[in-house]
Amino acid sequence: MKGIRAFLDGIEPHFNSGGKWERYAPLYEMVDTIFYVPGTATAIAPHIRDAVDIKRSMFTVLIALLPALFFGIYNVGYQADPEAGFLQHMLSGGRAVVPMILVSYTVGGLWEVLFAVIRRHEINEGFLVTGLLFPMILPPDMPLWMVAAGISFGIVIGKEVTGGTGFNIFNPALVARAFVFFAYPAEMTGDPVWSLAGEMTAATPLAVAASVQNGDAGLLVSQAGYSFGEMFLGLVPGSVGGTSKLAVILGAVILVGSRIANWRIIAGGLIGLFGAALLANMLAPASGNTMLSLSPLSHLLAGGFAFGLVFMATDPVSAAQTDRGRWIYGVLIGVLCVMIRVLNQAFAEGIMLAILLGNAFAPMIDYFVLRRHIARRRMAYEKQ
Amino acid sequence: MVEGARLVPKGYLGKNRRFSACRSSDMSVLRLKRGHDITLEGCPEKKLVNPGRPFSLAVCPPDFRGIRPKMMAKEGDHVRRGQPLFYCKDHDGLVFTAPGSGTISRIVYGERRSLRKVIIDTDRIDSCEEFKAFKEDRIPELKPETVRSILLQSGLWPVIRERPFSSVANPGRKPKAVFVPAMSTAPFAPDVDFILEHDGRGFQAGLTVLRKLAGSPVHLVMGEHSTSPLLSGAQDVTIHRVSGPHPAGNVGIHIHHILPIRHRDDIVWYVSLQDVLRIGRLFLDGRLPVEKIVTVGGLNVEKRGYVKVKQGMMLRDILEGNAIKPESRLISGDVLTGFKSVPEDFLGFYHDTISVIPENNRRDFFGWLSPGRHSYSVTNLFVSKLFNNNNTAIDTRMHGSPRVIIPFGNIESVLPMDLLPTFLIKMILARDIDEMEKLGIYECDPEDFALCSFVDASKMEISDIIRQGLEYVQKNG
Repeated sequence: MKGIRAFLDGIEPHFNSGGKWERYAPLYEMVDTIFYVPGTATAIAPHIRDAVDIKRSMFTVLIALLPALFFGIYNVGYQADPEAGFLQHMLSGGRAVVPMILVSYTVGGLWEVLFAVIRRHEINEGFLVTGLLFPMILPPDMPLWMVAAGISFGIVIGKEVTGGTGFNIFNPALVARAFVFFAYPAEMTGDPVWSLAGEMTAATPLAVAASVQNGDAGLLVSQAGYSFGEMFLGLVPGSVGGTSKLAVILGAVILVGSRIANWRIIAGGLIGLFGAALLANMLAPASGNTMLSLSPLSHLLAGGFAFGLVFMATDPVSAAQTDRGRWIYGVLIGVLCVMIRVLNQAFAEGIMLAILLGNAFAPMIDYFVLRRHIARRRMAYEKQ
Repeated sequence: MVEGARLVPKGYLGKNRRFSACRSSDMSVLRLKRGHDITLEGCPEKKLVNPGRPFSLAVCPPDFRGIRPKMMAKEGDHVRRGQPLFYCKDHDGLVFTAPGSGTISRIVYGERRSLRKVIIDTDRIDSCEEFKAFKEDRIPELKPETVRSILLQSGLWPVIRERPFSSVANPGRKPKAVFVPAMSTAPFAPDVDFILEHDGRGFQAGLTVLRKLAGSPVHLVMGEHSTSPLLSGAQDVTIHRVSGPHPAGNVGIHIHHILPIRHRDDIVWYVSLQDVLRIGRLFLDGRLPVEKIVTVGGLNVEKRGYVKVKQGMMLRDILEGNAIKPESRLISGDVLTGFKSVPEDFLGFYHDTISVIPENNRRDFFGWLSPGRHSYSVTNLFVSKLFNNNNTAIDTRMHGSPRVIIPFGNIESVLPMDLLPTFLIKMILARDIDEMEKLGIYECDPEDFALCSFVDASKMEISDIIRQGLEYVQKNG
């Protein structure tokens, strides 16, 4: 430990202004502060500070993702060959998922460092979350070069062109997923992509529900062999991290308990989803659209809604930033998700587009909340 | 009490959960929920000591916001207590007087010849300027002009400050109200009941004088559990009771909830509790009172307690015979808002706390990964939270490097005001005066945002940003 400190202190002068590697100062800052908490003392009041920092906050998100990640690895192996046994499931799942994560971190990290050096801003820990989220929302059978292309698009277009972490309008991981979704539809949609075993095709519960016109969606799902219990545990085909609602709930407890994620967004999203799905159920008898008849609980348990709502809609930067705005934003995402799933069955999974649309509306929601806040202040002043 | 309730604009308080404040119906206590009482080790004991005679006293013009000083005395002059040292260029009558008799030994100038300190070597026997004294029962008959001129002449006027901008009150303007915060929530701040119990002489006189001077209501804000009969029985004032964690005791929070400042010319005066005592004693005794009680607290000082000091005393004299550990930070004021000092510095004019905390720049190996049993945090991200932050060490470390704004909501959780701080900060950084005004910049003061700086994960200097915003608006608005 002393050696690392001595080495870092030894090379520090080169990265300070005037040093030969001055341009790479963000890189040094990153490595230095990964190993050691910065040793700066307060210069002005307040003279004491809370122990929290962005590293700690982002690291908590990673911890919250771990249950979903480990279950995802297991499930990828399980879907490929249900009979193989736990160890085999973890091994074959790991062989598929770990390379995706490595590629995502390496390629995304390179972009992050490149922009930090060129644009002279610090390397933000938010990338640690984006880099892990992206592979977790992909199908397990994704070619690695597409993972690389996706994360590149997500980091550069989704984040860096607008100024980097903290200035992004959209959730970068979702921008990356939207890019591969539209650029390589063959690898992102259809039934075969959700399983590693090439000859086996497994439709996701949502795809099953959307497959037939004039049917009963709930019946179709259960006929395909997907029970509520299985969908809750996550032993169904789907994206790497998004199938297990149990793991998502564990993550949600960590995120909401630590107040990293705002509970209003999650509550709003659930209300929106249930409300919209109930409305759809009422309309179901009048239409041949099978998806209209899918119950609210099935909407919640099937597909990636829960994962997206807990881990991606709550991204504090791209979400609405006022408390009232967060409610509206959450409800909007819930409603949009049901609308997309029901009305456009080409996108059996609606949550990605719902959150991206929610991100797009968030600044406007905040704008109106802000104007109302100002108007209320003025009224209170006038009454004085 | 009725008057106070009427003054509160309807819909501004209590009605809505979003204000994070409510008045319970029975007792009319304003209960603030947001905020945080920092558990610092080394609380001052409730024991009063008198330090020895000070050898030097100083008046430091930078203590007074909005004052452009011009010297009236020279180095080597002999002055008596209450005799003018310098005046404010913008108001001839606003003079700053010597806190004790002696010889002006040094006048210290800073950059661009700004006046920093006027240091007086004190006499063995104190001699005073005499002002007119009044019997207690004559004070209610005082005329505003008499009060004004005595306060200005004696040099006690600067204890009255005004919001917005927290500068010394402009003698040429009338406020819409005067606030007296008689509630302390800042770390190590002196206990109001203790001070009044020790010597509450002049308190009622001071309140009456303020009422006469301002001609507008005086709002006395006391803590929910305060027992002092001087507070609950005070005359000529509107009494409010407030409860909640820090910053519930800050006057800015009281003004915000009772009579918010609407624009830059909507003036509210405020005077601290001990300064009300001083005002009262000036009129009762006819001499400039310079004594006040300060607390000495913090882990790194040997004897922690209450000390009776004189205005402008050197910190070294106050801490005479009181050992300070090496590697300490000495602060004139509390740990959230005070000035970093050395023992040769003088006690700030408005300060009533001296804090001595461990100075530390140790770098923890993989600190952000550790469970954090010994990390103090308001957030729920460390194991220490399960132990209610017991046994955690607070020192001067930043615990992280500056980052961009990521609105986790930490800031909002410690600000008991109906404001949108994140947006206000953004507008200040963008220097957008129009939006700053709409979002309530005039209601803000750096001290109310000190806890925001404390909890911010991005390690932004939010207090300082608020200060910059206020200065910018004052200059360009």
